[in-house]
Amino acid sequence: MKIRTISALAVIVASIISPSVVKADEKVSEIIETAPGISIDTSQYLPKKLPAPAILIAHGFGGSKDSVESDAKFFASKGFVVMTWSARGFGESTGQIEMNSIDSEVADTRALITYLSKSKNVLLDGEGDPRVGIMGSSYGGANALLTASHDLRIDAVISDISWSDLEQGLFPQSVERSLASGPFKKVWAGTFFSAVTLQSAYLGECGAFAQRWCDAYQNAVLQGKPSPTDKKLLESVSPIKYASSISAPTLLSQGQADSLFPLSESYKLAQELKKNKTKNPLSMIWHADGHDGSNAQAPYLREQFLLWFQKHLFEREIEFPIFQFTRSNGSISLQDSTVIPKVFTSENLPFENEPKQLQLVTPTAAMIYPIGGVPSAISALPGIGSAGALASQLLSNLAGFSPAFLPGQSGLLESAPLTEPISIVGPSSIKVRITSTEPDATLFFSLVTKTPSGAINLPNGIVAPVRITNISDGGTDVVVNLPATILDASIGDVIAVGISSTDQGYETPKTSRFYSVSPLSPLTYQTSIATAAQSSSANYLWPLGAFASVILAAIFVRLRRPKIAPAKETSDALVSVENLSKTYKDGHRAVADLSFEVQRGQVVGLLGPNGAGKTTALRMIMGLIFPTKGSIYLNGESVYPGSPALSNIGCFIEGPGFLPHLSGRENLRLYWRSIGRDGEQHLDQVVAITKLGTALDKKVRTYSQGMRQRLAIAQSMLGMPDLLVLDEPTNGLDPQQIAEMRQVLKNYASTGRTVVISSHLLAEIQQTCSHVVLMHRGELIAFGPMEDLLSKNRRSQSLEEIFLELIGDDLVIGQEN
Amino acid sequence: MGYSPSKTLPYRVELYRQLKRKRTAIAYLFVVSLPVLVAIAVKFGPSGNSGGPTRLGSGTTDLIGLATIGASNFTVTMLYFATPFLLVTVIALFNGDTVASEASWSTLRYLLASPVPRARLLLQKIKVSLSLSVLAVLIMPISSWVVGAIAFGTKPLQSPLGATFTNPVAISRIAIITIYIAISLMFIAGLAFYLSVRTDAPLGAVGVAVAISILLSILDTITALGKIRDWLPVHYAFSWFDALATTIDYSVMIRGGSYCFIAGTILYALAINRFAHKDVTS
Repeated sequence: MKIRTISALAVIVASIISPSVVKADEKVSEIIETAPGISIDTSQYLPKKLPAPAILIAHGFGGSKDSVESDAKFFASKGFVVMTWSARGFGESTGQIEMNSIDSEVADTRALITYLSKSKNVLLDGEGDPRVGIMGSSYGGANALLTASHDLRIDAVISDISWSDLEQGLFPQSVERSLASGPFKKVWAGTFFSAVTLQSAYLGECGAFAQRWCDAYQNAVLQGKPSPTDKKLLESVSPIKYASSISAPTLLSQGQADSLFPLSESYKLAQELKKNKTKNPLSMIWHADGHDGSNAQAPYLREQFLLWFQKHLFEREIEFPIFQFTRSNGSISLQDSTVIPKVFTSENLPFENEPKQLQLVTPTAAMIYPIGGVPSAISALPGIGSAGALASQLLSNLAGFSPAFLPGQSGLLESAPLTEPISIVGPSSIKVRITSTEPDATLFFSLVTKTPSGAINLPNGIVAPVRITNISDGGTDVVVNLPATILDASIGDVIAVGISSTDQGYETPKTSRFYSVSPLSPLTYQTSIATAAQSSSANYLWPLGAFASVILAAIFVRLRRPKIAPAKETSDALVSVENLSKTYKDGHRAVADLSFEVQRGQVVGLLGPNGAGKTTALRMIMGLIFPTKGSIYLNGESVYPGSPALSNIGCFIEGPGFLPHLSGRENLRLYWRSIGRDGEQHLDQVVAITKLGTALDKKVRTYSQGMRQRLAIAQSMLGMPDLLVLDEPTNGLDPQQIAEMRQVLKNYASTGRTVVISSHLLAEIQQTCSHVVLMHRGELIAFGPMEDLLSKNRRSQSLEEIFLELIGDDLVIGQEN
Repeated sequence: MGYSPSKTLPYRVELYRQLKRKRTAIAYLFVVSLPVLVAIAVKFGPSGNSGGPTRLGSGTTDLIGLATIGASNFTVTMLYFATPFLLVTVIALFNGDTVASEASWSTLRYLLASPVPRARLLLQKIKVSLSLSVLAVLIMPISSWVVGAIAFGTKPLQSPLGATFTNPVAISRIAIITIYIAISLMFIAGLAFYLSVRTDAPLGAVGVAVAISILLSILDTITALGKIRDWLPVHYAFSWFDALATTIDYSVMIRGGSYCFIAGTILYALAINRFAHKDVTS
């Protein structure tokens, strides 16, 4: 109590000094006396919002309350009051280890629940009944299950990698309905016993163990089997015995890399729980970790445990899968293409599915058991089991040799090569006849796959030990429960029951003997209809989204397309430009309020110095750029980018443009085929204008500027359009070519067609054009027939001089810009 | 004169215009030659032929380590090699260069003034560049399989996930993978095309598209970004690994493929919209 007062005071002081730092998430340590002489060292972690549901987190064997601190902080941060404690005989707590005895460790936990029920911080379901969940791994998981079976106040329970039947854990027997104990799991048992006794060696050879447990262990080592007293003792701490009393929602989690408490522990407990309380929420997780493995999936498991508590303590609407399992070779890493685990979910527990059968073809497997059991097969090793299994897998992959199956001491009962893939999730079983040259037999069964190249894969090195006695001469027929496993076999693989006479981890007979094992039934196995976790409804929503995106994109493009001005009944002018203006984004006003008309048969010169806005005006007429204001009509039809009216215009604008990798002739041909017109192409006439001769069949890349220029003007005349728009057509031509060009244009116009030419060479235009549009700084300064313009100005007959005179009056506009 | 917008820039004309380019031939040459070069390197390289199957990588369970088992394994490994860079670059080239190169040759304004309606011009361009892209994605596994069959025989496909597939199954798996890769490259195609509309420099559009792809791939390797990575289109570049499991889990492929497709569609729509309002001054 003292400690608590002090830290509470510290909190108050701290909040007075700096009220902004409110540390509700506070850890409070306290010693609680749960029974006379038993002091339990506890810690409480408080969330920000109180009162809140509580979670008890029990630690694993050999640990203390500190070993679950990170979990405690995590759940406290998620809004739970978390209590951790060191179990009897561990950490700072007093008392002796009773292996979760109902009267000792379980009673301690119940006292803690009573303590929580008196705390103001914990949400209450009723008087003296706190809203509380309990979880733990291994030793702590058994405590959680056993407490849940003896205390109705518990509202949710999670057990990870713990035992459900401790006798089965330490003396595993895989013969169906056999009451005899299996071989002693000596390496694992020794590892645990010594872990504790070495820690507390000052207490004597039993360390912190209670005397009856210490005696039981020594008896097991000496006898290789439990005495009737020991069996009772082991049963008294086995959750499966009390399964019918568990009424809290239960989440059973078990690891595949676990040769101590394999998947079958949770499988059998789940069966028992389902049998008694069919409506009680029950979920199961088979992850890839375990006592032999890593804790690579810890973040995933923590997330699942949080969901379970949120669902059952906060009563949130959460879809929690009934069964989740991890395929350790479930997928390939997107980062580095290595094989990584993947979680699958199912709405059925494995035993709820219809079992399937597979015929085995090997008639008999025979093997020797060497005296003393040496050399011994290595299936898994405590602690480094996963490394051992990995090494074994690598060896078998490389050389077709597996340390779990020593030559002469092992055999395989094989199926025929598979014609379709098989996925096994859960335990399998097979009826076999076992003969032995001695009255007893100890064998280690497993389920393996063999690839066409001979590599044997024993998942996680898990074996199912079998020990039978009183074998008659003809052999004894037994049903063997093979290890619960997650195993995938593909086409061409063989599924086999592996049998080994030795295993390093177990107590085996002293004398040598011969065994034979023959299958009497097909292999019965279970499978699971599972989907990858987190896939759910997305499977059809995403393609629908993709489909919708195409439609939405089409609608978007259609709605956003530029507005088209209506057509207009005008005069019979071919081209009619009205109040055309263009201001570029940078504020440069290239064309301002330009209006003029072009009649059929005219040769119109668009004149002005460089930068007068001639090209900009032509670009707008050709629908290449958008006018800021004003409109353009061709034959009364509105002109906009891509408007069909443009199909009557041939243009040459701002220099030639050709595909450099094709010949001139191909360019003309492809251009004609691209522009969507039918009618006469007039190719010969046009080609004659180019004067390219044989160069027409050379790649455009090799052409000179003048050749390209002529080809481009020829291209604009393809199909002899009604209107020809030429922008600076004489640039880059020599004087003779200019003269020829002049003639070509005059000839073109003489056929009743219309030509609009822009140029900054006013003298040149004077000789070609019938009409003139004079521009300066984007504005129209004069427009009319050439003769009118010339005759108005008596003083000069030169367009250049007239132009200079005109802009002289217009300097104000220049200043404006 | 009879003018019909639906007759402008026919598919065959545009295809011919693109196929006649050296750029196209070189891109396909790269795609065809990668498996040949790798096969030669493995077959006659310094570490090759020391008895037992030659291994490309050090691992026995990874994709690269299994490459030399047979034609199917070789094909899958080549797809793994080619997806992140070679195919991305080729697809970026076909889609990023198509409009920008017309602008740089000045042919764009002649097509538009002729007039090819702007949306139609882009749709025809998209059709042709996507056809060329699909062809490149198809050539990759086909040439790999042929080269692999000559170099390593036609043994069944061995998946790093432990499964073995007979040749008909293996080829169906490779077909699924190829279809997935083609769809997942839609994002790069759309991105490159959008950039192509924005610029007059063809190699600029291609380069920026590839650079963005590399940048996103680097971001995708930063695990600290957590869930954000699920929204990077390149995150799904290798989701086809799921097709190597005994039973295919399509969920991630469907999500990834759809996401890349949607991203590509949006970029195409933005490109068309942008182009429809653009002042073509080049």
